[in-house]
Amino acid sequence: MSAGPYGALLDAVRGVRWPAARRVTGATLGAHPSQRRGNSSEFSEFRPYRQGDDPRRVDWRLLARSDRAYVRLTTDRATLRTTMIVDASASMAFPEPGLDKWRLARELAVGLASVAHSEADPVGLTIAGPQPLVLAPRARRSVILEMIRALDQTTPAGTSELEPLVTRARATRMVIITDLLGDAAAMLAAIRLRIAARVEVIVVHIVAEQEVEPPPGTLLAVDPERATTRRILDGPMRAAYHASFTGWMHETSASLTAAGARYVRALTSEPASHAVRRIADGSARRGA
Amino acid sequence: MIFLAPWALAIAGLSALGLVALHLVARQRPAVFLLPTTRFVPDQRTLVSRVAARPRDLLLLALRVLLVLAAGAAFAQPVLMPAHGGMARVVLIDGSRDASSADEAFERLRGILGQAVPTSIIVFDSIPSAILPTALDSAMRAPRSGAVGSLSAALVAARRAGATLAEHADSLQLILVSPLARRELDSATMRIRDQWPGAIRVWRSALRVDSSFAWRLEHELAMEDPLGPSVAAMRPAREEQVTRLIRRAPVATDSAFVRQGGTVVRWDSSSATGAAPEGLVAGGDVVVAALGRRAIASGMARARWADGTPAATERRIGAGCLREVGVAMPVAGDLALHARFQRIVRELLRPCGTLPVDTPADSGVILRLVGASTNAAPAAAMRQEKERSSTLARWLLVLAMVFALAELAVRARHEGAVT
Repeated sequence: MSAGPYGALLDAVRGVRWPAARRVTGATLGAHPSQRRGNSSEFSEFRPYRQGDDPRRVDWRLLARSDRAYVRLTTDRATLRTTMIVDASASMAFPEPGLDKWRLARELAVGLASVAHSEADPVGLTIAGPQPLVLAPRARRSVILEMIRALDQTTPAGTSELEPLVTRARATRMVIITDLLGDAAAMLAAIRLRIAARVEVIVVHIVAEQEVEPPPGTLLAVDPERATTRRILDGPMRAAYHASFTGWMHETSASLTAAGARYVRALTSEPASHAVRRIADGSARRGA
Repeated sequence: MIFLAPWALAIAGLSALGLVALHLVARQRPAVFLLPTTRFVPDQRTLVSRVAARPRDLLLLALRVLLVLAAGAAFAQPVLMPAHGGMARVVLIDGSRDASSADEAFERLRGILGQAVPTSIIVFDSIPSAILPTALDSAMRAPRSGAVGSLSAALVAARRAGATLAEHADSLQLILVSPLARRELDSATMRIRDQWPGAIRVWRSALRVDSSFAWRLEHELAMEDPLGPSVAAMRPAREEQVTRLIRRAPVATDSAFVRQGGTVVRWDSSSATGAAPEGLVAGGDVVVAALGRRAIASGMARARWADGTPAATERRIGAGCLREVGVAMPVAGDLALHARFQRIVRELLRPCGTLPVDTPADSGVILRLVGASTNAAPAAAMRQEKERSSTLARWLLVLAMVFALAELAVRARHEGAVT
């Protein structure tokens, strides 16, 4: 199975590095600096010898020069189990007919997974829909194609709850790709708990251009997930809508950031490869 | 076409205009747009008002306007009116016992019947009867009825006939051919006449000749007899019917006279002295005077006292009759000169088998009958609107219901498209 329409994206993100935001605790050898100090060739620091240290790690040349015993510490690297949690609720199926939000969400999930996978990180996928689909993080070569197939077979519909999926995800790095129009408050609480458990959480907020600037004219706006929510959107209402929506985005960003997560806003007008780089580079700047 | 309740049509018209205005300033539900961030739109209303340059939903507007107009027209109760034209005529012909020959009147009638004017002819005595114009000749030749004529009944019949003719005419003429005997009028006649909203043309025919002119009176009254002045007022007879007035008991010759067809009236000459005033009724006339009562033989009552006791009786004997009058004249007084008493005396002395006669109505009554106006009655005032039923109204209501159902269907389709 080929990558299909994702081929260009995968080519564009080849070579992008997505380091961990902090030292990882994994035991498997990987690309991310580990919290362990081990026997790799990358020198880290000298530490005075303490009783119990392995004598083979004593730097004899430094002993000869200083008459003091120091052990040589090196930096170990480990893998980072990464999972993508993708929101597949009805609000993601916007706007019609291209469903740009869902397209961007899929592309971001595939692109980020591809970047992580290229660094030997096990990657997994959770599609949050009425029937959640979970692909456990794997490092095997076919995992990206499996993710592509699972995403292509999904049509956003209904409502979904991200909080239980965030709570149960078995990963050290979690990328939540959502429009935050579902159970954002519950999800935030779960995120806090996962961050406290030293999980790196990145929330990618998918926003459509037409959500920021709805089409002109007088419209009867209807929420696709709650049909009873109907509001008139006309000239006098647009300013109030814009202020309310942007205010909510800022509040949400502040809440997630305060919780320790990383908030990234991705507009549907932005190429997915660009967003992937931005996310990866941002982690690099914040992290290790 | 006329409308029995035109105000309903006016209300419907105003309502239709209001509907058009509402469709210009309609509260409209705009096009639906699925927006996931709808919750951030302030919750104020779901309808917007705007003034359009032209009405929206033309089909819906047309159905609503038609519905309102059809319902309004139904409530306005339209009635299709037949075409009106010209004049119509009602002719009342007196065929009662008081009417004598009306040849001249009938000749005039024949002349105007040839004018192609719709005419209703009513021959009346106590009961009015309509006849066809083609039956006029036989009505002329028919013997006079023995019933007293009733102008009240005739005028009521004329009113009804006029209402029927008014459906197809602009004006109505009423012609009354009658001697207008006094007895033919009653206390309701003038009120009924007032129901005819126009002039009445009166063609006076001759009153039936007083039978007293057709019989001869024999009497043996003395000069000082109190009945003398009443009898003297009668004119000499020209016919051979004879009434013999006797002031004594009948004798053999009187009986033979009666058997041969004559009439003998026994009116004894006793006088009433100190009698209390009594009411005497005969032939429709009443007098109250100090009359005395005398016993008489039983028979058919020709006059009665006020208490109902016969004052004069008549018995048929052979071809004639013997009449006994139990009225004692007062000794003094001018009762015999009173016209009413003289009519009573004439009634009591007329031969057996003859009809009582009447006098013509006075000129004031006749002027009232004719009326102050000289115009024919307007047909519009005669038409019986209450009898009109608006069958069109039912069909208009059905049409309105059809429009209402169509409006519901179109509106449901519109709302389905919106949602």
